[in-house]
Amino acid sequence: MTGWRRRWQRYRRQNRVLVALYLLLLALAGGGYLLFSRMRALPPEELTNRLLTFLLWWFDLTLIAILLFILLRNLVKLLLERHHGILGSRFRTKLLLSYLVLIVVPTSALFILGASLLSQATASWFAAPVEGMARTGTELAEGVRLDSESRVRRIAGVVAAALTRAADEQGRLAELERLHVLMGNDFTGYYRNSIAVVELVDPRLRTLLRLPTIEAPLDPAAGSRSERAGPTVVVRAWERLGDGSWVVIGDALPEDLVAAEGRLAAGGAAYERLKLERPTVTATMVLGFGGLALVVVFAAIWLGLYLSRSFTEPLLALVATTNRVAAGETLEEVPLPAEDEVGLLVGSFNAMVRRLRGQEKEMRSTLGRLDAVLGAIRTGVLTLDADRLTVTGNPAAAALLGLPVLATRTVALEELTVAGLGKLVDAIQTAAGPTRASHTIQPGGVSRMLEVAVVPLGGENRPEGWVVALEDLTQLVRAQRQAAWSEAARRIAHQIKNPLTPIRLAAERMARHVERGASDLEEVVPQGCRAIVEHVQSMQEMVDAFSRFAKLPPTSRRPFRLGELIGQVATLYHGVRPGLVVRTTDGLGGREVLVDPEQLRQALTNLVDNAVEASVGGGEIVIATAVDGEEVVIEVADQGQGLEVADAELLFQPFYSTKGRGSGVGLAVVQRIVTDHGGTVRLEANAPRGVRAVIRLPGGEG
Amino acid sequence: MLICALLLAAAAASELEVSLVSAPARLSVQLAVSRELPAEWRQALEAGAPVSITYRLRLFRNRRWLWDQRLAGHELLVRAERDPLTGVFTLAAELDGEILASGQAASVDEAVHWMTHPPPAEIPVPLRHDPLWLVVRAEFLTRYKLLVFPSTVGTDWVTRAVQEAQ
Repeated sequence: MTGWRRRWQRYRRQNRVLVALYLLLLALAGGGYLLFSRMRALPPEELTNRLLTFLLWWFDLTLIAILLFILLRNLVKLLLERHHGILGSRFRTKLLLSYLVLIVVPTSALFILGASLLSQATASWFAAPVEGMARTGTELAEGVRLDSESRVRRIAGVVAAALTRAADEQGRLAELERLHVLMGNDFTGYYRNSIAVVELVDPRLRTLLRLPTIEAPLDPAAGSRSERAGPTVVVRAWERLGDGSWVVIGDALPEDLVAAEGRLAAGGAAYERLKLERPTVTATMVLGFGGLALVVVFAAIWLGLYLSRSFTEPLLALVATTNRVAAGETLEEVPLPAEDEVGLLVGSFNAMVRRLRGQEKEMRSTLGRLDAVLGAIRTGVLTLDADRLTVTGNPAAAALLGLPVLATRTVALEELTVAGLGKLVDAIQTAAGPTRASHTIQPGGVSRMLEVAVVPLGGENRPEGWVVALEDLTQLVRAQRQAAWSEAARRIAHQIKNPLTPIRLAAERMARHVERGASDLEEVVPQGCRAIVEHVQSMQEMVDAFSRFAKLPPTSRRPFRLGELIGQVATLYHGVRPGLVVRTTDGLGGREVLVDPEQLRQALTNLVDNAVEASVGGGEIVIATAVDGEEVVIEVADQGQGLEVADAELLFQPFYSTKGRGSGVGLAVVQRIVTDHGGTVRLEANAPRGVRAVIRLPGGEG
Repeated sequence: MLICALLLAAAAASELEVSLVSAPARLSVQLAVSRELPAEWRQALEAGAPVSITYRLRLFRNRRWLWDQRLAGHELLVRAERDPLTGVFTLAAELDGEILASGQAASVDEAVHWMTHPPPAEIPVPLRHDPLWLVVRAEFLTRYKLLVFPSTVGTDWVTRAVQEAQ
């Protein structure tokens, strides 16, 4: 069924003209048949009039039908387009309505005025003077005929009276001939029993003898009759006698007079016939004029539709293409060979499309390279939408998180929670800006330590998306931990080995003296015991230091005036050594900083201790505080011998010392305290000499 | 009472008298116009312009299976023209294009009477089992409403049942 319908629609589209022509011919044939069947008996003039009227009606109706069809079709089409919001429909509707108003209104007014004028003009043809003249001709001919009949009837009466008075038949014939000559009759006849007794005819008018005989008995007894006889008209009158015979008197009107009367009468008759056809003539003229007006309207409307299409089609094509381009469907150019302003617009648009094509190609190339890089690197990269609801990842991220589906399609962030990555999801969802932190997660039951960096895309206020970089620190931390334990074991062994040697030597010396029974035994044993006790005490102090470093309590931060804390520390070192000055420089101005005062005091004490020990020849130790952006800076500078190692970071390692004494955990404790406060500490050379320790702490809470 | 009133109204309104005489396969139709003829028609006749009265005869049968109930259509055209020189009216009656009768009249009234009482027209009637009826109308001339819309001046259509020939 659908196939038949499609075939019929295609056939109808292809043969629309043929179908229309066929229907037109069918209508014409039917109309013509009806027309001629109804007009068979009509005279030629009336047939022409009716045929012309019919053709004009058909022409006008056809034009009206075509106009209505075109108008209704286009109006319905425009209304539907407006209803569906198709671009250009409003403009085309306005254009079409403007054309209708501009053309139909004046043309209708012109048609009404013209029809009225035509009607008045035809009415003027039948004005009273013209009608009077036409009737006068008819009446003149009638008058001449009646006058002639009257005269001939009188003559017939006179002749009949004379014949009645005649004594016998011979007398009647003589009287008849005498009166024929006397009266100047063209024809005189005497009849009895339907037989012509005598017929006297003017020799010039012998055609009168061919007229049919007036038969008797006649009723009425006397009468007259006019008949055509060739180019003339013969008026005959009869009068019956008492004995049943009758006389007939004929008079032939002059041919010239008859011709003139004929012309007048024909004019009058033609006028009356025309008057009878006056409505048809008026209708024909009005219909013809209406047809002309309809042709004008039709041409104007067709032109309006054509112009509206020619105006809107290029614009619609341009708009449709721009919409497709804007929707990202395609990057096609508008194939519109226009040379006007629309052509300029199309040219600019096509240039923009070509430029976009180049940029798209470049962007695709860049994206390809980026995909290759993201696929090759070992850092996991996650990309999220602005609301952080969906996530995709590169192969490294999929491997790190144990979710292979991340590398192939976009998944909901909730799926990561289901997969046991809740810590990572929380870190991603709670990030208000660029953040970096380490998290231990268990993807697939395997513990991994990841450094997670969350970065918003396109600004922190209204991010267009988020990127999360995942760095696997598991192996690195494990290696660092092993290295730290190795170093700690080496240094502990070194620290323990140092006192063990003198202890062993003191014990061996005392043993040797005891074996020899030396006399100075009483002197040697106390000396050896003293040495052993001292080194054991040193080892005890070292173990206590280890214990303190290992058992450093967690920080308990609270707002505290840092300047006051520094002042207390500096006070402790006033006069600690001759020639040494401890000075403070407060750049905080009573600012409170979120710190653990006890731990920070210990860190500062360690640093000042180091500075005092380094300032062998005296000098100045400066404890300075300052604000740098959102950080609080604490500097402890001395004027001692300066750094004795190339890498100052080694000094922060536990049990590392260049002084040959002490536990070697002082700077390690400093670094741990500062790190627990979220800050950093470093050592650098002081100018012109000495060392400067710089602590940077977050000071936003101050 | 109501039926009588309707019959009287119909009789009063009838402008065309129709008399039918049935014969085997033939039907003789006698027509007579009883209404006043249009003034311009009569003036044209008196002035010598050819005028005519067209009697349209249509034979119908009840054919339920066809939308067209008409069996046959006939046209009786009665024409008259006065010779202004002789004052004689030439009369002719044609049934479907064939002359049925002709004559002459010496006066307008005689000519009008001849035209409004044309000679009987015999039309063929098909053999049938169903009842037939004849619809007749007389047309005098064509006028136009609003200048362009044709309007035929004539009598109303008169319907008569066709009796079977005895």
